[in-house]
Amino acid sequence: MSTVIVTSGLTKHYGRVHALDGLDLTVEEGQVHGFLGPNGAGKSTTIRVLLGLARKTGGEASVFGLQPWRDAVKIHRRVAYIPGDVSVWPNLSGGEAIDLLTRLRGASRHDKTYLDEKARLLEAFQFDPRKKGRAYSKGNRQKVALIAAFAVPADLYILDEPTSGLDPLMDVMFRREVARVHAAGATVLLSSHILSEVEQLCDRVSIIRAGRIVESGTLADMRHLTRTEVSFEGTDAAPVAALAAAHDALVEDGRVRFTVDSDQVTGVLPELSRLGVEGLRVAPPSLEELFLRHYGDDLAALEGNGR
Amino acid sequence: MNRLTTLLTQRLRRDWLQLTLWIGGTMALAFAGLSGAANTYGTEQERTALLATVMANPVILLFRGLPSGPGEQAFIVFLLMPFLVMMAAFMSSFLAVRHTRGDEEAGRLELVAATRAGRAVPTVATVVHGVLANVLLGILVAAAFLAGGSPAEGSWLAGFTAACGGLTFLGVALLAAQLMRTSRGANSLAVWVLVVSFFVAGIGNAAGTPSDDLTHMESSWLTWLSPFGWAENTRAFDENLWWPALLCLAAFVVFAGAALALQTVRDLGASIVPERRGRAAARPALSSTTALVTRLASGSTIGWMAGAFFAGALSTSLGSVVNEMGSDNPAVADMLKALSAEADLEQAVVVVFFTMVGLLAACAGVQTVARARQEEAHGTAEPVLATPVERVRWLADFVVIGFIAIVLTCAAAFLGAWAGAAGLDNGADLTSDAFVAAWGQVVAASVFLVLTAVVFTIAPRWTIPLGWTLVTAAIVFGLFGPLLGLPEWVTNLSPFSVAPVPSGNEVDLRGLWWLLLAVAVGAAASFTLMRRRELASAG
Repeated sequence: MSTVIVTSGLTKHYGRVHALDGLDLTVEEGQVHGFLGPNGAGKSTTIRVLLGLARKTGGEASVFGLQPWRDAVKIHRRVAYIPGDVSVWPNLSGGEAIDLLTRLRGASRHDKTYLDEKARLLEAFQFDPRKKGRAYSKGNRQKVALIAAFAVPADLYILDEPTSGLDPLMDVMFRREVARVHAAGATVLLSSHILSEVEQLCDRVSIIRAGRIVESGTLADMRHLTRTEVSFEGTDAAPVAALAAAHDALVEDGRVRFTVDSDQVTGVLPELSRLGVEGLRVAPPSLEELFLRHYGDDLAALEGNGR
Repeated sequence: MNRLTTLLTQRLRRDWLQLTLWIGGTMALAFAGLSGAANTYGTEQERTALLATVMANPVILLFRGLPSGPGEQAFIVFLLMPFLVMMAAFMSSFLAVRHTRGDEEAGRLELVAATRAGRAVPTVATVVHGVLANVLLGILVAAAFLAGGSPAEGSWLAGFTAACGGLTFLGVALLAAQLMRTSRGANSLAVWVLVVSFFVAGIGNAAGTPSDDLTHMESSWLTWLSPFGWAENTRAFDENLWWPALLCLAAFVVFAGAALALQTVRDLGASIVPERRGRAAARPALSSTTALVTRLASGSTIGWMAGAFFAGALSTSLGSVVNEMGSDNPAVADMLKALSAEADLEQAVVVVFFTMVGLLAACAGVQTVARARQEEAHGTAEPVLATPVERVRWLADFVVIGFIAIVLTCAAAFLGAWAGAAGLDNGADLTSDAFVAAWGQVVAASVFLVLTAVVFTIAPRWTIPLGWTLVTAAIVFGLFGPLLGLPEWVTNLSPFSVAPVPSGNEVDLRGLWWLLLAVAVGAAASFTLMRRRELASAG
């Protein structure tokens, strides 16, 4: 398996602002790689550097082993891209915008496969191609970019918050498309701040904060590092607190709650069985918790301000 | 009432600067016209002579008002009234669309209409707002005339006429906003009505009946179809008729009433004229950035070409009239010869008009390159540049299409000149003069094209303001420099004033080589700099 995207110590400064501050990101071929972080963390800047739309200040970046700034056009031949904020031409219809973008990527209007693929996507995303650009809502502008990206096969799909403005039904269609190109062997870099989306689609995740990657790995790996929450019906936390593996035991809303290191869960289960607990619930850490581990202090600061 | 005043205050707060500029500009136009005409046409004899010229060549009436005698103020009204009405009309049209369809399209009206304001009150507030703006404009125009020492009745009538003309187009635009789904559509419809009315009045005047002493023109029936025609027929400072202005007012009441009626029967966001649907798939040709830029630039280029065609037609046809006048009236011939330093009057007229063509061509070119910045700022450049399209190639498309726009604009002017010269004794000479002048202006206008491209690569945010500022500065230096008494080297900084021109039977190259050098260096610099330039998307 070869590496599609590598950056090491990548920096990008806009004046005094360090948008990227030593970013190390590796995306292997065939991965659906979640690129997770709140707005302003540097996701879009990273993507622009990878596409050669912005020039790095320092460090290394390569896509397909090529340098993004110098070989932008060679890279673009193999890439499909959905920008974070999709705009369309006010006086072109949606269908015209889709055709223009796909033809620039090499689609031919005589190519039966392309035409069929476009028709399928128009249907799947319930998109009316005959409206003029200025009449489209945010969700519909997003569909223009989605259809243009998926209608022509690519080796690498770079998707910058692709589902913003889409309704849940369209979300499902989007996930199907990602699954389809993934099955075909393509690599996907999916930037998002919607955790459930990343959790469902991605086999690897990188969390970015203030222009650096703070955590990277498979979801299983990352869960391993955090504690699983266990709870059952009851009013007395004392028997649990006596267990060596249990941490932070307390009673809340008529349930006993505690956390266990994720690799110790199986060891605790016989003890619970001995206690004869009812209404047992074992919740592996969600991506949200992983995420909040890195952004917890930001959240605390925000809550502090709110008070 | 409370809801109305709240909305009215919001409109005044949002518009105060714009309205100050429009109203101040209109007042300044009246004031400058007054003193300018007093200098240029100081004596009644000069004014009578010019009116006689106009009667001989009614084409001029397309761009002027209705001749109503050689009196000093009446003459100024003849020169200015259509433009005072036009200023008021543009102000009112944009105002009406901005606060109705503009707000509706942007979703702001939905917020407001969901409050106690309801559906009708915002439109009523816009009507009141527009009326206030036009009343103020009328008062200040009257004040400008009064300050110039004009008689009171004529001054007030002139102001009243300008305000009433503005109100008619407030009504037109309110109605257009009901008919069209987008503010762009509503604005274009209103502006089309405005432009057509302007020329209908002008053509109607040109086809009118001159009085025996050649100082008055009786409008033909066509003029009476246009609000501009009604406004001009008030003949301020001459007959001082008030009732034609009341026609404007009546039209306003009808249009505004119709707009309010339509407002109450349609849904929010809907329009009376359904929006035209686009193509489901792009035409085969739309498959490159060159095709995209062509598509984006074609509409505006056609506009500049139409203007250039007119200017070209006037350049040759007016010259002949100047000569005719000269042979009929030796006094006028002397005066015109004094105005122009050139021995050959007709050639001089061609050169002056083609300088204006050069300006139109420069605008066509600058506007096309400025679209590169618009694409970038609007966000549509990003998905295009993420496909296999070279950065430099992308910019080159805008520059090359801009150059083609310049050539087409100058070619349209040449065609106009050729048509205007048809049937003239010296038509062939004038046509070849126009040919030389047109090519000269292609080179001059190209300088602005490449300068804008260079600005785009170095300081993206400044592309649009600086591009247009350069054109404006060149006009001021080149066209008005000699009049303002600027030193020659300053005047010669303007590409327009050093472009090759016909001189007798020769071609005076003037600064051709410098201009070509500037174009070559500018083009090379912008393409080289583009190699190193990253996408500058944010505002």
